[in-house]
Amino acid sequence: MTTEQATWRYFYVFIPSMIVYTAGVFGITWAVDHLALPAFALCGLAAIPIFAILCALWAHWRFITEIDEFLRAIQINAVLFGVAGVLVVATGWGTLEMLADAPSLQVFWLLPIFWAAYAAAAVVITKREGGVF
Amino acid sequence: MKNKLKALRAERNWSQAVLGEKLGVSRQTVNAIEARRYDPSLPLAFRIARLFACAIEDIFEDDAPGKPSA
Repeated sequence: MTTEQATWRYFYVFIPSMIVYTAGVFGITWAVDHLALPAFALCGLAAIPIFAILCALWAHWRFITEIDEFLRAIQINAVLFGVAGVLVVATGWGTLEMLADAPSLQVFWLLPIFWAAYAAAAVVITKREGGVF
Repeated sequence: MKNKLKALRAERNWSQAVLGEKLGVSRQTVNAIEARRYDPSLPLAFRIARLFACAIEDIFEDDAPGKPSA
């Protein structure tokens, strides 16, 4: 499989997953504000974005397994940067919350932080290795 | 790792993209190997050697310090 094919296969799952995720998050927020739903119904609604995240992560895993070994090394490095970003923010902000009464950071934001750190690292590493975006 | 991939490719007038297609890898991968930014795995090194009909050590040279002398 070529890199282009793997990339298209990735986006075919990733983009719809992120649309469902975003719609699910906004939908739950709206439902909490406007509807008096019982707790089990909210838990059921919360399963929608969770399922979407699992689909997106599965697409990412599949993408990494389908591209060639050099591009895979770039992607794995970028994922490690994403994880590092999450750990740094979670640990750093958590320490500030404990010791300096910093405002609470919802763990909801860890996923966007991961994607942001991953994306930035993927762009930088790919450019450094002679790739094109 | 030093290698003769660029010279072998030039002898055949292949672009990096063409060589990548023949090896089943991306142009970036060929570029990274030629520029010595990436050492290929053993399976890929064998594919390269097969494509150019020569031995791996004819294409790649171990420039690691402390290698045993011949």
